Amino acid sequence: MNMTTAIHTEDLHVFFEKNHALKGVNMDIEKNGITSVIGPSGCGKSTFIRCINRMNDLIPGCSVKGKVMVDGQDVNSDDVDVVDVRRRIGMVFQKPNPFPKSIYENVAYAPRLHGVLEDKGGKMRRRRHTKQEMDRIVEHSLRRAALWEEVKDRLEKSGTSLSGGQQQRLCIARTLAIDPEIILFDEPCSALDPIATAKIEDLLVDLKKDYTVVIVTHSMQQAARISDRTAFFYLGDLIEMGETKQIFERPGEELTEQYITGRMG
Amino acid sequence: MDRKTKETMVFTAFRGCALLVVLALIVLVGYIASGGLEKLSLDFLTEFPRRANTEGGIYPAIVGTFYLMLIVLGVSVPIGIMSAVYLVEYEQRSVMGRVFKLAVYNLAGVPSIVYGLLGLGIFVVFLGFGASLLSAGLTLSIMVLPLMISAAREAIAAVPQSVCEASFAMGATKWQTIWHHVLPYALPGIFTGIILSISRAAGETAPLMLTGVAVSLRSLPDGVLDSFMALPYHIYFMATQSSNLQATRPIQYATALVLLLLVLGMNLVAIVLRKRYRDKYKW
Repeated sequence: MNMTTAIHTEDLHVFFEKNHALKGVNMDIEKNGITSVIGPSGCGKSTFIRCINRMNDLIPGCSVKGKVMVDGQDVNSDDVDVVDVRRRIGMVFQKPNPFPKSIYENVAYAPRLHGVLEDKGGKMRRRRHTKQEMDRIVEHSLRRAALWEEVKDRLEKSGTSLSGGQQQRLCIARTLAIDPEIILFDEPCSALDPIATAKIEDLLVDLKKDYTVVIVTHSMQQAARISDRTAFFYLGDLIEMGETKQIFERPGEELTEQYITGRMG
Repeated sequence: MDRKTKETMVFTAFRGCALLVVLALIVLVGYIASGGLEKLSLDFLTEFPRRANTEGGIYPAIVGTFYLMLIVLGVSVPIGIMSAVYLVEYEQRSVMGRVFKLAVYNLAGVPSIVYGLLGLGIFVVFLGFGASLLSAGLTLSIMVLPLMISAAREAIAAVPQSVCEASFAMGATKWQTIWHHVLPYALPGIFTGIILSISRAAGETAPLMLTGVAVSLRSLPDGVLDSFMALPYHIYFMATQSSNLQATRPIQYATALVLLLLVLGMNLVAIVLRKRYRDKYKW
């Protein structure tokens, strides 16, 4: 099979204090595809994707061992700046969590933090965005997240005034504004109704043209509908990974079959 | 007794207790106003006291208390907010954090006269600030710090973790997250702490007696190392030590009224600011 690897993990272990949450995961995630991660609650799927952008660093008592290679570089290595990791790898969370600021400010927040990297006579320097540049980023990100038409007349309104589905798309737009290569979705539709869910799913399929998408989901239908490849986790182990069609039609492992046929939950 | 009667009784009891508080405030303000309003005039507010405080105004006491409030604001607000941030964001679960929290709780229970002694020992004598605005202001600042820290700590801890996570996930550093999210969203609660702190500081008498309050002054303090007058001490002095207690009664009431108005005025400013920030960030 011909695929370019975006993320490659090697013998990845995660411990929360004494609890061994992830037990040596080896995985290749393909570029410009949607990879879904499924498995019963507590199987380590969220823990796994939080390793990729090092969000587990924030949890006291959590330690990560093993390699997470992105672009040939281990994100956990000492000379890698966690800020750079998270700028290249965006994340959208389970519960929509817009900032209680205006829609515009929600999207402009991260670009404003990071500034524009500019080549000034051979020296790379950071400067602030001009108003026009920022306006363009905001509009482009909101369009890309299929939210622009709904909010273009009320950009100054609070992000929290939007509906749940719109809030989640705002969170996606906010992430797109940092221009990441990879976007991680941690059960992005679990708090949404079916119509809002369908919109997000369409959006994800559209996004994979430009981004590598990894999505943790509780819904097997969702994984089957949108993802190219599927990984099944159970009790901290990666049991099986393959083409989504193959996983759902001809699972190679007994456990996978039990889970997708609903005999284990 | 049937259920309905019981409901009514319980409701009445609750409402009665709540009304009692309002009633207490009304009686207090009414009582003080009735005794002091006749004496209250522009001259009373802008003149220096004469004839051992039995005549003239209370201008230096108003200015002194105002300066004290400013010192307390300038010292306890930044220190209080920064320690609260440290507590919540950096030492939430550690032993160090727990020790710190315990220290804050215990500090809150120390009687104000003990703070006065501490101020006398440290600021007046050891650091050599003398009996001065600075000594008294710093003493009051230490006294209200626990209030300030507790209020700020609660406000900061109430900022949802999910919002901070979102900020981190976009590559923000801890400091950027604190500056752009945690502090702005916690501001309304921090203002509550400020209200409580300056009100408490403005009304304290005991620590002032040990750190530099004057009975009467002919000129305003020129700098922070000068002695000063203060409203609460003025009330205490006039009500207990004055040469003619009966004749100066209106002065006592009017001074108490001014102190109340000053505190209420400062609170009003803080409440308006709090409202502005509440409206700015909508959850």
